Amino acid sequence: MVMKNTFLNFLVGVLLLSACNPSANEKQKNPDRIRIGVSMLSMQNEFIVNISDEMQIKAEELGVELIMVDAERSPLKQIEQVESFIAQKVDAIILNPCEFEASSPAVTKALDANIPIVNVNSATKIQPVSFVGSDDVESGRIAMKYISEKLGGKGNIVMIQGLNGQAAQIQREQGAKEIMEQNPGLKMIAQQTAEWDRSKSMDLMQNWIQSYGTKINAVFAHNDEMGLGAVKALQDAGMKDRVIVVSIDAIADALVSVKKGELDATVFQDAKKQGAGAIDAAVKIAKGQKSEKEILIPFKLLTKVDVDAYLK
Amino acid sequence: MRKFPWKQKKMNLNKMQPATEPILGVNSLCKSFLGVKALNDIHFELNKGEVHALLGENGAGKSTFMKILIGLLKADSGSIYFKGEPIENLDVHAIIQKGISMIHQEILMIPELSVAQNIFLAKEVNRAFFIDEQVINQKTETLLRSMGIDIEVSEKAKNLSIAQLQLVEIAKAVSNEAKVIIMDEPSSALSELEVELLFKIIADLKSKGVSIIYISHKMDEIFQIADRITILRDGKYIATKNTKDLDKSGLISLMVGREIKELFTAKELPESEVILKVENLNKKGRFSNINFEVHSGEVLGIAGLMGAGRTEIARAIYGLDNFDSGEIRLKGKKISIKSPKDAIAEGIGYVSEDRKGLGFIPELSVKQNISLSSISAYSKAFLIDKKEEQKAVKQIAEELQIKASNLNKKVKYLSGGNQQKVVIARVLLAKPALVILDEPSRGIDIGAKHEIYKLIRQLTEKGLAVLLISSELPEILGMSDRIVVLSKGKQKITLTQKEASQEKIMHYALH
Amino acid sequence: MRYINKLRHYGIFIVFLAICINLSLISPQFLTISNWTIIITQVSINALLAFGVTFVIITGGIDLSLGSIVAVSGVTAAMLAHPNTYPLIVPILAALFAGLLIGAFNGFMITKSKIAPFIVTLGTMTIGRGLALILSDGRPVSNLSDSFVFIGSGKLLGLPILILILVIMFIICSVILNKTTLGRYIYALGGNEQAARASGIMVTRVKMMVYSISGVLAGLAGILLTSRITTGQPNAGAGFELDAIAAVVIGGTSTSGGKGSIGGTMIGVLLIGVINNSLDLLNVSSYYQQVVMGLIIIGAVVLDSLNQKSNY
Repeated sequence: MVMKNTFLNFLVGVLLLSACNPSANEKQKNPDRIRIGVSMLSMQNEFIVNISDEMQIKAEELGVELIMVDAERSPLKQIEQVESFIAQKVDAIILNPCEFEASSPAVTKALDANIPIVNVNSATKIQPVSFVGSDDVESGRIAMKYISEKLGGKGNIVMIQGLNGQAAQIQREQGAKEIMEQNPGLKMIAQQTAEWDRSKSMDLMQNWIQSYGTKINAVFAHNDEMGLGAVKALQDAGMKDRVIVVSIDAIADALVSVKKGELDATVFQDAKKQGAGAIDAAVKIAKGQKSEKEILIPFKLLTKVDVDAYLK
Repeated sequence: MRKFPWKQKKMNLNKMQPATEPILGVNSLCKSFLGVKALNDIHFELNKGEVHALLGENGAGKSTFMKILIGLLKADSGSIYFKGEPIENLDVHAIIQKGISMIHQEILMIPELSVAQNIFLAKEVNRAFFIDEQVINQKTETLLRSMGIDIEVSEKAKNLSIAQLQLVEIAKAVSNEAKVIIMDEPSSALSELEVELLFKIIADLKSKGVSIIYISHKMDEIFQIADRITILRDGKYIATKNTKDLDKSGLISLMVGREIKELFTAKELPESEVILKVENLNKKGRFSNINFEVHSGEVLGIAGLMGAGRTEIARAIYGLDNFDSGEIRLKGKKISIKSPKDAIAEGIGYVSEDRKGLGFIPELSVKQNISLSSISAYSKAFLIDKKEEQKAVKQIAEELQIKASNLNKKVKYLSGGNQQKVVIARVLLAKPALVILDEPSRGIDIGAKHEIYKLIRQLTEKGLAVLLISSELPEILGMSDRIVVLSKGKQKITLTQKEASQEKIMHYALH
Repeated sequence: MRYINKLRHYGIFIVFLAICINLSLISPQFLTISNWTIIITQVSINALLAFGVTFVIITGGIDLSLGSIVAVSGVTAAMLAHPNTYPLIVPILAALFAGLLIGAFNGFMITKSKIAPFIVTLGTMTIGRGLALILSDGRPVSNLSDSFVFIGSGKLLGLPILILILVIMFIICSVILNKTTLGRYIYALGGNEQAARASGIMVTRVKMMVYSISGVLAGLAGILLTSRITTGQPNAGAGFELDAIAAVVIGGTSTSGGKGSIGGTMIGVLLIGVINNSLDLLNVSSYYQQVVMGLIIIGAVVLDSLNQKSNY
């Protein structure tokens, strides 16, 4: 896998080179236009792609130029990308951090170079000029609160975790466990990672159905992909009616599933507000205006009742 | 061909007095594989400064015995003493350190390393943390010169001929200060001149008190250099004799347990249909202007020293290598061969000198190997008809006296002679009109050799054309109806059987 | 010798049986028909990939592009499998063709350029992943027709279709390897490529076939995965090639070529599936699952080399 990354690095390097040159040319054409460098966590993740799409739209609207690159989940690559933004003397940087600690040097470097940096979607240890995103712990609380209400504060829960050790997994689990502590009737009978993956989650759920069967009252999955996998496994076993499934992100598939009444609820994380908000903040700071230190975009629990407005 | 300044000094080593102090003793050695006794009560004794030949047919147990001696295998029972010390429980590394080295038939050199680096492998001379290449090169240079070997020490092993590699292997053993050197078929890949050099080196080693265990199938060599001969047969110890007390037929009868009167059975043939006609064949740097014909029922011998271009011509005809210009005709029809598959389809078969590399697939069974070149003939709609395959293979195996009980054995477990029979069987099963035999008797014992000669005769009687390449002059002389002599890629002369003699062939081969 | 060879296969089979017996004592759900239906369904995708790569490994090669082929074919199938568009056969053939194309490209590059299979397939692994992202625009392709989804979750003759496909492919692959000329050539090629060529085997053609077979089977695996999780994901299948190679190695196929069998691979696949399943049943942390799996892979190779020695 090391090999894979080296090879990818090489390809990305080539792409970066070719991507950087035209933008340098454009700068000469439009010396006054604001340029923002954006480093995204991973363009293979639907939610992140949504955020970046929203950024593009907002940037178009405000007439600023975006240089957007994909860090492919590598903090090291992210730091290198920020360094190249600094070398290009962009007006602001938006960082969608790969990791809490490991991506911090990128923030430090930007601050040292006097280039304003805004974090979007997730945090780093070093405080940037501004943070636009949502609190993942809160999303865990919202999901588990819903389960608790549905079960009347009593029942057996299984939890399907994201990739162990990632901020989103840790915080979503933390939020869920806070609620469970307040409701001693809720019991976590099993928890296991399915690595954010739908087919792995399906396999896991099938195996749990074998060992726990009807004892399971509710499933909390750290993201929608895994939630949908669990739904599929429960449907195949004819148990969906008896088990509540809640997950996080509100991706398109999940909304459709909620609408159909299969997935009970998903926690909506607002890609649009995060993306647009980040551009707004970056542009403001680049123009020398003040921006808030932390702009928190609230989550919203979506059930069958209110999902319609979010379906495109 | 390289020239050796010390050439042509006839040596008669067995006149030297063997020292009487035994350095190595082996008592009642036994070893079984899966209940089959490979070695049964072997005795062996080696004196200091003695050349002791080990003889036996394929499967007689020589390889197993040697593998036990050098620690690659463990004996089931019995003892081995080296300088009075038991060594039967030591591993390979410890045995090399004690002073027993083996020159394997398959050369074990690292291709990308130089001669010097290979010789000093795992005993490099270091300065600080770096290998001191200069010291290694100097030491190797001195070593090679003292042995009379003329090879550039910085040459990479991959650029050396098999003969040169073998000499380097011997030098390596000497550099290990070996007291006993085991040589397994050392001359099988050497030309006559190189064999002379080998014998000179052996004589030198001997005079320095080094003992040699010499495994070979070549009678002449053994009578020339061995002091004593130990014969094994079917895993059993047969006898140890002083060379001077034995003659050839006596030795052969000890080995095979029966008398072999005539090895060669060459005969003259009337003119018959031309099967293969090669016209003006050229390949730059390999051979030029090659012209010959092979008739139905004829054996055409190709003689020449190593590097004369014999194998290269065979490979070109068979489609293994391409050539620059020239024509190949089979039964009068011009053919274009781009791969061995084409050659087989046209009716040409090739038994390579490189049996391990090009001959067989070690992991496949005897049956699967034999049917490999003609398997599509036993298939319907891509599915192999295993009954048909079995039937065809069984028949050819019987003709070649390959035991039917062995058909499902993997070829890697067979002895050299039987492996060679499998390769020949594969070639013959594809029903060729012409067979190229490149060193067909290399590294196989006298019994199997004899069978192969008999087979060649039987095949030619049925009208098969045979192109025979061999380094052994008696073999070429005895088997061929006509002989083409090559030197440095050029065709020197074509001799009839009557005209040919060892002296004549050597004369043309050297010029 | 033949007995030893048989024993060799029995060796891993005995290990497999021993593990199964142990597990059935620890976990009462383990030895139920429903659990085994699940295990076999779950391993079916890895099995198809492992069958394909068995062919490749017997020739002494390797195929690292399997996971990416799964993604490309999965996305291709999903894009053509929306309800009321094309008949079911279209997405299936297109996906198989996509797999064939990448496989044949692998074979072509390996035979023509003489570049090592490791390097070539490492390249196509990255290319394939990129193609999948390009085709899908980085987003999962959802909204699949019922008939397409039926492949992954439906039953025929009371058996899940996935299991039926697995059994059919098992038979076909076994027949190819044991009863056809191609199979014989594959073993010969892996055992000694030069001797195989000298025996009149068209080495290039056999290699082309082998990589193409591997590609088509990966294409089929992509269809099954997409249908099972009801979405074509561009990042699906990452790392699948390693699971497949692990199964092949556990099943006694030598990575140096010339030896191996589909039956052994099937046992390797089942062993991995059984371990994953039972550790889930016992709710063992996935951290330990990874350690156990690694030990089994190494153990299998050690077992193999011990047998080699005793064969001598």
